[in-house]
Amino acid sequence: MRAWVAALLLLASCAAAAHKASDSYLTLQVRGTSVTGQWDIALRDLDFALSLDADGDGAITWGEVRARHGEIAAYALGALTLKSDGAACRLTAARHLVDDHSDGAYAVMTLEGSCPGEARALEVEYRLLFERDAQHRGLMNLDLGQEVRSAIFSADRPAQSFAAREASRPQQFAAFVADGIKHMATGVDHILFLLALLLPAVLIRKAGRWEPAGELGPTLLKVAGIVTAFTVAHSITLSLATLGIARLPSRWVEAAIAASVLLTALDNLVAFLPRRRWIVALVFGLLHGFGFASVLIDLQLPASALALSLFGFNLGVEIGQLAVVAVFVPLAFLARGRSGYRRVALGAGSALIAIISLGWLVERAFLIPFMPI
Amino acid sequence: MQWMIRGCARLLLACAVPAVGAPHVPLDDHVVLERSVAKTADAGEQLARDLRSALAREPRNLEAAMRLATFYVQKGRRDSDPRQLGRAQAALAPWWNEAEAPVAVLVLRATIRQSTHEFTPARADLERALARDPRNAQAWLTLATVQQVTGDLAAARQSCTRLAALAPPLIHVTCTAAVDGASGRAEEALSGLTAVLDATPGSQSGVAAWARTLQAELAQRTSQAQTAERSFRAALALDPDDAYAIAAYADFLLDEERPREVLRLIGPDTAVDSLLLRYVLAARAAGAANAAEKTRVLAVRFAAARARGDRVHLREEARFALHVTGDSSEALALALENWKSQREPADARIALEAALAARDSRSVREIVAWARSSRLQGESIARLLAALERA
Repeated sequence: MRAWVAALLLLASCAAAAHKASDSYLTLQVRGTSVTGQWDIALRDLDFALSLDADGDGAITWGEVRARHGEIAAYALGALTLKSDGAACRLTAARHLVDDHSDGAYAVMTLEGSCPGEARALEVEYRLLFERDAQHRGLMNLDLGQEVRSAIFSADRPAQSFAAREASRPQQFAAFVADGIKHMATGVDHILFLLALLLPAVLIRKAGRWEPAGELGPTLLKVAGIVTAFTVAHSITLSLATLGIARLPSRWVEAAIAASVLLTALDNLVAFLPRRRWIVALVFGLLHGFGFASVLIDLQLPASALALSLFGFNLGVEIGQLAVVAVFVPLAFLARGRSGYRRVALGAGSALIAIISLGWLVERAFLIPFMPI
Repeated sequence: MQWMIRGCARLLLACAVPAVGAPHVPLDDHVVLERSVAKTADAGEQLARDLRSALAREPRNLEAAMRLATFYVQKGRRDSDPRQLGRAQAALAPWWNEAEAPVAVLVLRATIRQSTHEFTPARADLERALARDPRNAQAWLTLATVQQVTGDLAAARQSCTRLAALAPPLIHVTCTAAVDGASGRAEEALSGLTAVLDATPGSQSGVAAWARTLQAELAQRTSQAQTAERSFRAALALDPDDAYAIAAYADFLLDEERPREVLRLIGPDTAVDSLLLRYVLAARAAGAANAAEKTRVLAVRFAAARARGDRVHLREEARFALHVTGDSSEALALALENWKSQREPADARIALEAALAARDSRSVREIVAWARSSRLQGESIARLLAALERA
């Protein structure tokens, strides 16, 4: 299996090795004093600058790249300077990945950092590779929250300055609502937890067997109870964590979230948790709140914006959550009478969620990244 | 229960293959991500490394800089790899913005600038070099090429004339034949070129491949398909990797409605965008199974080139817009933009084709006049001019 997958990737990246002048792709998001981003640099260029092909066999392997991650980060970040109102920001490489672009494989670094103060004017100086390839270009996308700017850096134009427009309060608030929705929409673990909770909501357990729920009214009441309990619970811990009153190590929070998804999904197959689902939602929801909080904490918001951002972000999470409910529950209610719902949706669906969350649990508890999602 | 487990296992396996086009962590250390130049095997790369370290110590070492830049320009031409041009330019960095750089630097700088379609500064570099060294054959030849590409045929002919006393006859005759072939004298150009090719067998293969390709193009322009076919094959026998010759032969085969041969000539995994365009055109004409996939790949590559501000592929992009995406007004806009800097017969042809498709003969009035006054030949051009006249 492994050899087969490797062969497939080999084909994919070889087929994509087209000829193009050299570009790197830099995206930066600036929120308050925090900076996050991603930087894609062609492996061909890094090989040219740093000789990645250690054994000189003409093939750059993941092992050869992995062994040089420290140097790659130092080389790249040494060529990138970010200044907020004249004071240098600090940037580090958080994760190293790879990606295929139209002209071959790229090293991908996710970036994290912070600036000394909230930037009114951001200066970016980019000098990667210019001394080796005078036609290299740095293609940057700079997300300042209220606006996204793009820029091309070249040997002739290595330094550019971007003035942030002053954001109004409603704009800031809207940006945090959007961040919350985005976090819910991309947080597959939270969505799977909600689905695992709601899958049996249109059924009634009688003597160990699932039967379709009769009327819409009681079903909606049940769903509302579950959703409200989850909301109350995660809002409590989200607030406590963001305000710095209670903090847990994020590794264990993430692992515990995976465990909560696993247990809820398994309970759909073999009952062992409390029969009242809102209790499950309430207890596990406390964990998910700590998970939501990590996003806001990473943003290192100034105290003045904290209450506003907390409320906006939480509102965004609830909107995202209600969207999931609004799509899922009507479909599930209509399908509840079919045997396929119990076998495929509840049975196979819960089993699949359990398997995925077990993968996350192992990945997060032992810090061995292997899950594709 | 068993079907359920099997189903889940299958789904999970499907998930375990990372999606292409998303940042991911490869499955293990042995996954090959990219091809590199095998260092132990390549003497040229070894030399380039030595020259680079010499330049790191002493950036204004003219000899090392020239040797390194020449190495990259040649490598870039051999592989059709624009990255090498940037590396050559970096080697010449100390002189890149000097108006009065050494003559050799001026000529090489012009070559690099011509390759990135900066024709005006390239021409200025060459004129400056020739003012100081009027017997520089390479400078006259490159100047003739720049003049011809930009449509200054009278000046190009004069530059070619200077080569008579400075270069082997094949170079002088090929230079002149290229200009004559674009200005109403394709028959004479072809017979002159054929005579000198027959008289000088075993010429330096690069020059001979260039001459054979031109011979084929002249034969195509004068409706001698069999001669064209023979000459294209002779050119590719001399240099099978010559991207210009492959592209010209592919265009010939496309005109002859023989797309399947284009697919065999180029192959689906070409790294060169201009060749991928021909492959896509042929794949669509032949109804090949991978036509849609290759079309997508090419669109992504054009988008990537546009994102960095490249204007090198305007002619190819115009052909893509006209013949693949079917957006004739976009094709016309690209072709007209291209015409501002490039004025070869192929540039006139795509502009006229796009204007005809967009039912906009007015915007190409100047190009029609140019084609008539320079007496541009060829069946396709004649057909287009006639059709535009009727429109």
